[in-house]
Amino acid sequence: MNWKTTATAMGLALLASTGLARAEGVLNIYNWGNYTSPDVIKKFEDKYNIKVTITDYDSNDTALAKIRQGGTGFDIAVPSQTYVPIWIKEGLLLETDPGKMENFKNVAPEWANPEFDPGRKYSVPWAWGTIGVVVNTDAYKGPADTWGIVFNTPDELKGKVNVVPEMNDVIFAAIKYVGGQQCTDDKAVLKKVRDLLVAAKPNWIAMEYNTIEKMGAGDFKATSDWNGSALRQRLANAAIHYNYPKEGFGLWSDNVVVLKEAKNVENAKLFQNFIMDPENAAGLSAFHRYANAITGSDKYMPADMKDAPEVVIPADAKPKGEFQKMCAPETQELYTKIWTELQK
Amino acid sequence: MASNFSIKHQPGFTTIAATCFIVLYLPIIVLVAYAFNAASSTSEWGGFSLRWFQSAYQNTQVIDATLRSFQIGAIAAVLSTIFATMAALATTRTASYPGLTFKYAAINQPLMVPEIVTGVALLIFFSRIKIFTGYSGLGYLIAAHTAFCIPFAYLPIRARLENMDLTLERAAADLYATPWKTFRRITLPLLWPGILAGLMLAFVISLDDVVITEFVKSGGQDTLPTYMLGQIRRGVTPEINAISTAFLLLSVAIVTLFFFVSRKRD
Repeated sequence: MNWKTTATAMGLALLASTGLARAEGVLNIYNWGNYTSPDVIKKFEDKYNIKVTITDYDSNDTALAKIRQGGTGFDIAVPSQTYVPIWIKEGLLLETDPGKMENFKNVAPEWANPEFDPGRKYSVPWAWGTIGVVVNTDAYKGPADTWGIVFNTPDELKGKVNVVPEMNDVIFAAIKYVGGQQCTDDKAVLKKVRDLLVAAKPNWIAMEYNTIEKMGAGDFKATSDWNGSALRQRLANAAIHYNYPKEGFGLWSDNVVVLKEAKNVENAKLFQNFIMDPENAAGLSAFHRYANAITGSDKYMPADMKDAPEVVIPADAKPKGEFQKMCAPETQELYTKIWTELQK
Repeated sequence: MASNFSIKHQPGFTTIAATCFIVLYLPIIVLVAYAFNAASSTSEWGGFSLRWFQSAYQNTQVIDATLRSFQIGAIAAVLSTIFATMAALATTRTASYPGLTFKYAAINQPLMVPEIVTGVALLIFFSRIKIFTGYSGLGYLIAAHTAFCIPFAYLPIRARLENMDLTLERAAADLYATPWKTFRRITLPLLWPGILAGLMLAFVISLDDVVITEFVKSGGQDTLPTYMLGQIRRGVTPEINAISTAFLLLSVAIVTLFFFVSRKRD
């Protein structure tokens, strides 16, 4: 054997070693980073003798772009409710009919038939939450159950408010604050929204995601935020309080779907059913710190989440919650224009 | 003034250089310091502790991603260095001819084209192949990393070849050595430091890549940088600092080792 054949053989052996052996029991999950409880995954692996891989994405758009191209090797993804209809419409999902699965009886009635997936033909609830206003009560003692904290900042908080830079969330809140309807394309309302945002911006200190750190340290005294993040902030600093704005607040949820191109369909279905079990749903919540939609999971929930004001919506605020939708493309375009102007 | 003019001492240069060093190194020093923070914050100091190193070590996702980064990096570095050595020999041991400049440009293409463009192009291209063949293993990532590492390996190797004394090669050829023997006995030993430099550089570049990897990766193929990117949205803990610190120490160790190895050889 001369050197050329040796080298070729070595090269081929090297490449062959990197080909993943397609074992019998595999499940490839594509999910947001830092969102999947290793303990629950371990339990699933042991129960069904399936090897799970988890791969991360950092935005709905990245996930959708990759799955659109196909050939990714993923079986499961976890898109937000605003995106689920797009995935369905583009034919990227497999109709696994979770509504007929054994554990579906545990899904809370208000989550059993959502607008974004009527009859739960494709998706299983993973986590849900709200978007509200977080205030450090050491800095501000007044009423904080309003988007006014962000859009019409009280003097004590001027220059200390942060806004989480999610375009759809901010526009939604601003439309609610001026008394409009979600996804409105009424120019008069949008003019008000634009003027409101432009006038409000000088009172903000930042537009950042990193709120857990900065609120905990006291760099920010108030921020718009997701409830799970607010819960972590309160655990770091007891003066921090989460509020449900009375003008109306957004609800979001992330949902487990099986991809049409999945190679491990049966394992993916097992997983969908597995996470609708109360104990497993509580395990997931304990890790990602958001509520789940499974009845009976509360008795397994960690003590600091059971009655947490960030997780349990007070009865009087409940009717003000509204599912955020993806608006029509031409409406989104108007919002993008307002958003771009705000970024300047 | 002109009498004590020196090219080494010009007004303001010291300040500019010092500022550059501070801007470059201070964030890294802060990052390393907070890796040893007992509190779970990346901005509030809560005493000294090694807990984040421990938690990173026990985090199977981190360990998996790290090993995968090393695996891809090692294979891609070796392959790209082999290709780069061939390319460097072909472009230096020749008289100039029309089209040579074009070849330089082709070899250095990954340096010119924005990473995001390469990433999107590879996503579309590889997806077709994945669907067609049904293979979605690490091969795609290795191929992509090899491709963009080639120019980084090529530059030091080519520089070394251009500064080499050609007399020895001519003497060998004069004494009936075959081209292959000449390469093995003369060129390769002299070229070795350049090849090592190229190999190290390619390895570090591969280890560091985020954009292309994010687009090309399939199921279960997170590398350490893409894993870290996925963490950002949900609040970062000093675990990330601990991982970065370990990574930094490793890079410094590799470069130091290389420095001593190449010094002995010269």
